[in-house]
Amino acid sequence: MARTRKTRGESLILRYLVLGSWALVCGLPILWFLTIGFRPRTEIITPQPIYWPTFSLDAWHLLVSDWPIARYLRNSLVAVAGSVVIDLVLAIPAAFALSRYEFKGRENIGFYILSTRMMAPAIVAVPIFFLFKTMGLLDSVWALMLIYAAINLSLVTWIIRSYMMDIPKELEDAARTDGASDLRILWEIIIPACLPGIITAAVIAAIFAINEFLFTLLIASTSRAYTMSVALANFTGGSDGVIYNAIALVSFIAFVPILILVILIQKHLSRGLTMGAVKG
Amino acid sequence: MVTDARSVRSGGVAQAVPLRRRSPRLRAAFPYLLLTPAMLYLLAITLYPGLFAIYQSLFVVRFTSWEWVGLDNYAKLMGDREFWAALGNTAIIGSISLFVQTVIAMTLAYFAYRDPFVKGWRIVFLMPMLFMPSAVAFIWKLAFNDGRVISDLLMTLGVVDRNVDWLASIPLARLTLIVADVWQWTPFLFIIFVAALQSLDQEIEEAARLDGASWPAIFWNISLPMIWPIVVVAITLRGIDITTMFTNVYIMTQGSPGGATETMSYFIYRQGFRMFNFGYASAASVLMLVITVVIAQTVVKRAFRSGKA
Repeated sequence: MARTRKTRGESLILRYLVLGSWALVCGLPILWFLTIGFRPRTEIITPQPIYWPTFSLDAWHLLVSDWPIARYLRNSLVAVAGSVVIDLVLAIPAAFALSRYEFKGRENIGFYILSTRMMAPAIVAVPIFFLFKTMGLLDSVWALMLIYAAINLSLVTWIIRSYMMDIPKELEDAARTDGASDLRILWEIIIPACLPGIITAAVIAAIFAINEFLFTLLIASTSRAYTMSVALANFTGGSDGVIYNAIALVSFIAFVPILILVILIQKHLSRGLTMGAVKG
Repeated sequence: MVTDARSVRSGGVAQAVPLRRRSPRLRAAFPYLLLTPAMLYLLAITLYPGLFAIYQSLFVVRFTSWEWVGLDNYAKLMGDREFWAALGNTAIIGSISLFVQTVIAMTLAYFAYRDPFVKGWRIVFLMPMLFMPSAVAFIWKLAFNDGRVISDLLMTLGVVDRNVDWLASIPLARLTLIVADVWQWTPFLFIIFVAALQSLDQEIEEAARLDGASWPAIFWNISLPMIWPIVVVAITLRGIDITTMFTNVYIMTQGSPGGATETMSYFIYRQGFRMFNFGYASAASVLMLVITVVIAQTVVKRAFRSGKA
């Protein structure tokens, strides 16, 4: 018994040492970056780093007056929300078919959908660029919406599919014997029953869409279609150098809503991130 | 009432899936109909670009003029040191980064999943992942290069005696990319590992514990083998994402020094959108696509089959 207690005590110290250190590794850079957002530009790039800067709202004034930050935010919102809606409209029927029906080629179709997620954005970047150029869609929020939807469609389908597979067959059969059509079963039984999965899929798709960088960079070539992510990269401001305090502020403006969304779906996060492979 | 009538018609046995007034052919086609919109969309963004890239890779494209060159672009790629370097860089940076974040995430998960505050740890460890990747790249660009914070901390600790120029040496420049990637994406693996460990039957671990086994032994011999299929899925997903690394390279190093941090994605981007060698970039895309398809058909398919119930 004494030995058991001893090993327990040791492992507790080690445990909190390890977990605590990584918490610092995660937290300190974030806190430090937050202070960057509220310091004057003269105190950012210095020969000697300044750890206790003067408080300043320079970056905030710069964002509000010099940059159409509201437009970037709106572009992000429209493109991301629109893409999630497209994804759900396409993915829910597809997931329904993949999870509730037996048919030839089911596994191969499912895997094809999954494999589109593995394609590097760079592989399709040149063709997509030409496609949108011919369609006159360059520099538009609509193009971004279509691209984000495409990137996340496989993920959304697989997450929803995984949740639909958990719904007991009996529920469906009972409705069927009552004469309900397949589409009514989808609408009235399956969708309500897997709503947590649908919400999880939507949140994760939204995060990946907000994060998307390469396509946004290529498609949004003028500030008309800049999203938050690319606007950041363009705060490198030419002769002004990188305007870090503005970048830091914008990062936190985007960070807060994402954090809230993720806390809301926390329980489902691991399942969503593995496209349903982990039922945590 | 409806059921009664049906069961009579089918000779007293209730049909589990009674057919409505609908032709059998439509019934058989129904799942395909449900899949069609999503499939068309996905084909449009994979098959079309794939074919376009193959076609374009046979030309030298100068703005509006396309000159047929056959397989010249591929021949040129095979002899292009930069292309092979990009492939090698992606492999080196990617595998080191993946290895480091897997080890860290597993260590953290090992300590966290039995902890009463596991929910709190999860939120804290998750935060780096919730920053936009471009923002994370700027955080580390500032910390390493522009702000000299890391150098300053290392000098305080006495590790180095003067300011380090991170972009001047190949290993150091790669290290900055790895640090940024590990910092942002360890949470991805951690969240999955913890969830997998928590879903295990506690009684098995408790039984081993009562038999006098130590926690590390239990973890290594019992828990880890049981969650292994999920670990493989998680590492596979992360590995695929790492091979597409672009944002950090674009913002932090732009491939320097001397192309030592240029990844495949950045190579394609630079050839296409900086040097406007679209045909050449397409040829590289096709080769990368081939590699992706091979990996998807082997590693990923297997990982997902064994990982799934």
